[in-house]
Amino acid sequence: MTGVSMSASVSVLPEIVRITFRQLLGRRRTLLLLLLAALPVLLAVIFRLAGEIDVHSYTRRVFDTVSMTIVLPLAAVLFGTGAFGAETDEGTILYLLAKPVPRWIIVAAKALAAAMLTVALTVASVFLAGVVELLPAGADGLSATEAQVGAMIVGSLCYVALFVPLSLFTRRALVIGIGYTLVWEGALSNLLPGIANLSIRQYALGAADAFFQLHTDPARLSPMTAFTLAAVLVVAAFALATWRLMRFELPGGTD
Amino acid sequence: MTVEMLPTPNVTPDAAPAIELVGAARWYGNVVAVNDVSFSLGAGVTGLLGPNGAGKTTLLHMLAGFLAPSAGTVQVLGRSPHRDPSLYRQIGLVPERESVYPFLTGFEYVRFNARLQGMKNADLAARAAIARVGLEDAADRAIGTYSKGMRQRAKVAGALVHDPQVLLLDEPFNGMDPRQRLAMMDLLGEMAVAGRTILFSSHILEEVERIGTEILVMVAGRLAASGDFRAIRALMTDRPHTITIHSSDNRKLATTLMAEPAVFAVALQERALSVQTAHLSAFRRIIATASRTAGVRLIEVVPADESLESVFDYLVRR
Repeated sequence: MTGVSMSASVSVLPEIVRITFRQLLGRRRTLLLLLLAALPVLLAVIFRLAGEIDVHSYTRRVFDTVSMTIVLPLAAVLFGTGAFGAETDEGTILYLLAKPVPRWIIVAAKALAAAMLTVALTVASVFLAGVVELLPAGADGLSATEAQVGAMIVGSLCYVALFVPLSLFTRRALVIGIGYTLVWEGALSNLLPGIANLSIRQYALGAADAFFQLHTDPARLSPMTAFTLAAVLVVAAFALATWRLMRFELPGGTD
Repeated sequence: MTVEMLPTPNVTPDAAPAIELVGAARWYGNVVAVNDVSFSLGAGVTGLLGPNGAGKTTLLHMLAGFLAPSAGTVQVLGRSPHRDPSLYRQIGLVPERESVYPFLTGFEYVRFNARLQGMKNADLAARAAIARVGLEDAADRAIGTYSKGMRQRAKVAGALVHDPQVLLLDEPFNGMDPRQRLAMMDLLGEMAVAGRTILFSSHILEEVERIGTEILVMVAGRLAASGDFRAIRALMTDRPHTITIHSSDNRKLATTLMAEPAVFAVALQERALSVQTAHLSAFRRIIATASRTAGVRLIEVVPADESLESVFDYLVRR
């Protein structure tokens, strides 16, 4: 950049992160996601009151079906597609782009804001649920909680990495993102073992196995493979989003 | 279609122009938004005029680097603005869309712009820019509570906070009341005197009158006229005007009006009278006298062709 040092460029990153937080934390969206994140905690309380303390059973019935299948993808798709979606829908993206800021900084700031919010929400959800239901199970319960937190972190980063560039390619990113999480991640990745290498859900479960084997069977991907594929996805998605933003053009028209 | 009636405005003979377009065109599939436009601008205020759909916004977006020309070249400060973010250090942009982050206060919004420009004294610069647009009283209120005119001023403050060499404004006077409009025109005039190059679009001819400087007129994607505002305004004033009159006795009034030199065509319609004149202001005086002379009561006098489209079309036909 002409006359602008790298450190000066990076110093604008927190500014964009802050403004993205405020965009993403609209009242309705926040309320919806808080209610969603509270669901596993509520179920954990019910399990606890019923006197059922079994790590694998809880993992299968609450963590798999609610936290991994609903809370994580939905939080990631709302925050991930909203990071740029709000700017492009409202036209405020021009205020960001008409600045001497490298495009990769803008992408990094937007993705960071969306990832931080997704991680905070999903980790808080599984951690609180774990405190209620799993910690009384002793050492296994503690390890299972750690594994679930790990899965949420890896899953959040990967999902957000996928949805941020998606919102730069289409205005229907939210619908496509929800469809993807329900069909591909929710159904197909469970039914078809062959697509484990292309499933963020499997990356998250594989990473969780580094802490504790959450299921009676080991995850389909080893922790090393899961971490590697997750890292490749994040880097590739970041590069794609930057490439797209560098080529951003305003929609056509006659005026 | 005739193009270029007057000298190209603001060409600085000694220095390289701040803005230069050579045969610039932009099309979307079969739709041509901007067609073979060439001009160059130096320091000063230039109005980019034209009816809605003329291609003004497309032209400004090309200058702002958000659209690549399909043909020709677009240069700002000697460089192509397309995919060159570093050039934004010297460009300020006020887009047409009203949307500004509604949750930020005016001050926070302008400071955000200053910080993204890498300014060290962002707070100070933001306060100064807000003062320049006269928004001090509302600076600490959320932009979501602003009127349209206040939002426009906040956008302008955000665009000039880094004191850019080139300022591009798309319909900046939209939503401003007459007092705010005059203040904004004075501000742009001051910046021009300080050597800045300012290009603003408008579909309202009178908006440029106070600035009284150079204009570019676009019609249907083409540059229909360029040059001094007053000369072009005179061309528009001299064009034939059609006026529709409703009176108590149209036939009698027509007979009286036909004797007036300023009136060169009169046509009786079913319930109205259609009159053509070259001098609208003179006709306003004539019609009052003629109606008294003829003893006819005027019910309605309406200019029939005063839409901007007809004004600009006339320029193109010449």
